[in-house]
Amino acid sequence: MNVPLKEAVATSKVLVVGSGGIGCEVLKNLALSGFKDIEIIDLDTIDVSNLNRQFLFRKEHVGKPKAVVARESILSYNPDINIKAYHDSITSQDYGLNFFKRFNIVLNALDNRAARNHVNRMCLAADVPLIESGTSGYSGQVELIKKGVTQCYECQPKPPQKTFPGCTIRNTPSEPVHCIVWAKHLFNQLFGEDDPDQDVSPDTEDPEAKIEGQEHTETESGNIKRASTRQWTQEIKYDPAQLFNKFFKNDIEYLLKMENLWKTRKPPVPLTWEQAASHEGDTAEEENNVKSQDMKVWSLSKCTKIFADTVGVLKEELAGKTFLVWDKDDKPAMDFVTACANIRAHIFTISTKSRFEIKSIAGNIIPAIATANAMIAGLVVLHAFRVLLQDYQKCPSIYLRQKSIHSKFVLAADKQIEQANPKCYVCSPQPFVNVFVNTQTMTVKEFETELLKKSLNMVAPDAILDGKGMVVISSEEGETEVNNDKKLNEIGIVDGSILKCDDFLQNYELTVAINHYEPQEKDDPLYKVVANPDELKAKESINGEKNGSEEKKEEESDEDDLMIVNELEDPQEGSSKRRKLNPPEDKDAEDDDLCVVES
Amino acid sequence: MSENQLSAVETELYDRQIRLWGIESQEKLRAANVLLINIRALGSEIAKNILLSGINSLTILDDGIVTEEEQEKNFLLSKDSKGKKIAEEVLLKAQALNPLVKIKADTDSPASKDPSYFKEFTIIVATCIKTDLLLKIDKVCRANNVKFIFGDVFGTFAYSVSDFQDHEYHEDQVQLAGKKRTHEGAEKTTVKVQGVVNYPELKKVLILPNTKQNADCIKKSKRRNELFFIMLSLIEFRNKKSRNPSLESKENDIKTLQDIKKDIFQLYQVDETKSKLDADIFEIVFGEAIPVCAVLGGVIAQEVIKAVSGKEVPINNVFLFDPITYDGKEETVGV
Ligand SMILES: [Zn+2]
Repeated sequence: MNVPLKEAVATSKVLVVGSGGIGCEVLKNLALSGFKDIEIIDLDTIDVSNLNRQFLFRKEHVGKPKAVVARESILSYNPDINIKAYHDSITSQDYGLNFFKRFNIVLNALDNRAARNHVNRMCLAADVPLIESGTSGYSGQVELIKKGVTQCYECQPKPPQKTFPGCTIRNTPSEPVHCIVWAKHLFNQLFGEDDPDQDVSPDTEDPEAKIEGQEHTETESGNIKRASTRQWTQEIKYDPAQLFNKFFKNDIEYLLKMENLWKTRKPPVPLTWEQAASHEGDTAEEENNVKSQDMKVWSLSKCTKIFADTVGVLKEELAGKTFLVWDKDDKPAMDFVTACANIRAHIFTISTKSRFEIKSIAGNIIPAIATANAMIAGLVVLHAFRVLLQDYQKCPSIYLRQKSIHSKFVLAADKQIEQANPKCYVCSPQPFVNVFVNTQTMTVKEFETELLKKSLNMVAPDAILDGKGMVVISSEEGETEVNNDKKLNEIGIVDGSILKCDDFLQNYELTVAINHYEPQEKDDPLYKVVANPDELKAKESINGEKNGSEEKKEEESDEDDLMIVNELEDPQEGSSKRRKLNPPEDKDAEDDDLCVVES
Repeated sequence: MSENQLSAVETELYDRQIRLWGIESQEKLRAANVLLINIRALGSEIAKNILLSGINSLTILDDGIVTEEEQEKNFLLSKDSKGKKIAEEVLLKAQALNPLVKIKADTDSPASKDPSYFKEFTIIVATCIKTDLLLKIDKVCRANNVKFIFGDVFGTFAYSVSDFQDHEYHEDQVQLAGKKRTHEGAEKTTVKVQGVVNYPELKKVLILPNTKQNADCIKKSKRRNELFFIMLSLIEFRNKKSRNPSLESKENDIKTLQDIKKDIFQLYQVDETKSKLDADIFEIVFGEAIPVCAVLGGVIAQEVIKAVSGKEVPINNVFLFDPITYDGKEETVGV
């Protein structure tokens, strides 16, 4: 280290956001490199499955706050550092502009896009350089974000999370993941919080099932019964045989009547409780070691037995509570989903999976290893050195790739920093975005939650209807609640309206142009967000973005070091190196398997 | 339950990595006995990562004494370690990283060890040692099917060199298969692909001036990554001076390095006038940049995991970390 760097390091104030996989490594590197003033913030507590890489934590720390233990651990080998730990969410109102302005640099080590977007905006607003990083399995990346110098985290639209149309889940599953999503919905129908979007019975509204010129008149099953599924379940006292026959025999028979669905597909085969329980080809051998319980695919009769057993256990757990919350680490809940997903897969001739594999998909588990985190965290601090010397041009993005026989690169750095997208709806001088919503059916509250908060990532938005100067959404309690249940058009938000939106915490103002839109095809999203109007035509022809599909999206994984996997695969214009890294066979396509279902 | 099957505690602890490399790889790691020669800034990074991965045993061989400078850059040491034997002082914190791994300290000098000492391990990882010892160990390793990797950090420059002999590996490749429906996509299947990498012995890789017996092994490669010659220069500096370049004798050391580089260019018939290397490249080779130790420690530990598990494509055979661009590239030398 030369003298100016040594000085900069010793006098700089650093914020590390997240003390998980990358966070632990970053903290160690900072402490060993001579940083003296560090603050860390993390909302999480320590879990056993963190210990294979989050090396500042030990078994006796399980259940304790990560930020607090990380601080103690660092102090144990260097007591001369000032470290402040916050066991809190970075999106909280307590961490406003003035909080961020105190730092010379912010280092992100986060696990979800919403928090990344938020810190991106805070650092832009406070004009503090931010180093963004993430890993997923063997891969990872490091990127500098500096206002007016580089692109921001939101300059390039991120590929939306993979979601599935409701009718694929309810009527025509074709992949194991469809059965797993269905099984989680079944759990919620029987034991969880009521959610009409998670119906598991046949969907008679499926446009594909309709016969041309003939509106369906069925009323005996399907949608009609849905409101009473839970009630009926309670009436039959959670009798496993009756439940089984309803979901795996009667509902399947009903689906078979929707003949259009099976013209090009293999029809499902209804299964009775008796058939399943004594299914042939299942042997009695039941090894009881971890490997066979978790790694081997259960037989159909075993699935049936576990279905019955777990229904019994979960029924008891439910007694005295309003509902259960599904958790991948809760044994009966995970066993139930494994059994039901595999029974349904069997019915639809879809390949069945082990409990271990189903847990990955149902729990949205992104694999994480110490080595990748170590490499990425090393690069984060190397970039931090250059940033402190304001050598921003020397901080292009760096990518960690799994070694392949097609490429010599393990770490590949871009040749130069990426320029900001002039039409970015976050960092451009006048942020502007087009939204496509059904102004006749969407309520103001839905607009606030789905569009402004979930899609546009505001935390506490205000919205003023342009021209009329009317406040339609307010972050002040009690000001606009009266609007909540009104449809957008009822308060004058129609096609062509302009909303001036504002998030005080993020110091962010956004002009939103409203476009009235009604989904046409069954896979069309419920609403769309388009940042660049030039993209409109192209986007429409490829069926739009899937911002609001039937399945709720939930991208937060339980891993601190998660990056959104698709980003790695994002083909970026003007970076030939990255293309070179993707061999034609593109075996990295496996990453796409990590589609995210709600957890 | 048999000896090499994982317990419930282990599957829970290693869950997130088993989901990446599979249970068979984890079982192979669990059977692996690793020797780590020298546990300094880089060595402690390697130790951390391989301990976390869940090997059977780690033997730490280092005859050094903890200095103030060493203590400041090694997170396995504490303030009161100064003046004590480094291999013993790291034990407490190393063990805390993973209580399931058997860890042993050995304070002998690596050079004093009988060749038979090196036979007992699955893989040997070395840092900060001279070429004659590297070649001696490599010979034992090749005769006894022990994998070998070594690496060093000089400033912000770093490298590793592997000799995994004839290494068989497999990797999972995902292929799209079957029907392609508009909305439902194609189903993906995972195919196990096998391969072999034949590593050259280290004496064909580390050809230095004055080791004439090997000079005819040099294959000229016009596209050789020039950082390889920087690596050889630094190794040769250590061979000659029995130390790394030091800031206290910076000017002299840079001059020595330039002279060595000239000899190496001559030996490898590189036209110095066409060299793209910075003239002052040796300015950045002093000390050990901590974040670079973290990067190389990650790379080397990942190669150890690949060598032991036989899963994924390993680096063949030299890894070079660019101190300016931070690219990290494979360079195949000696085959
Ligand atoms: Zn931007």
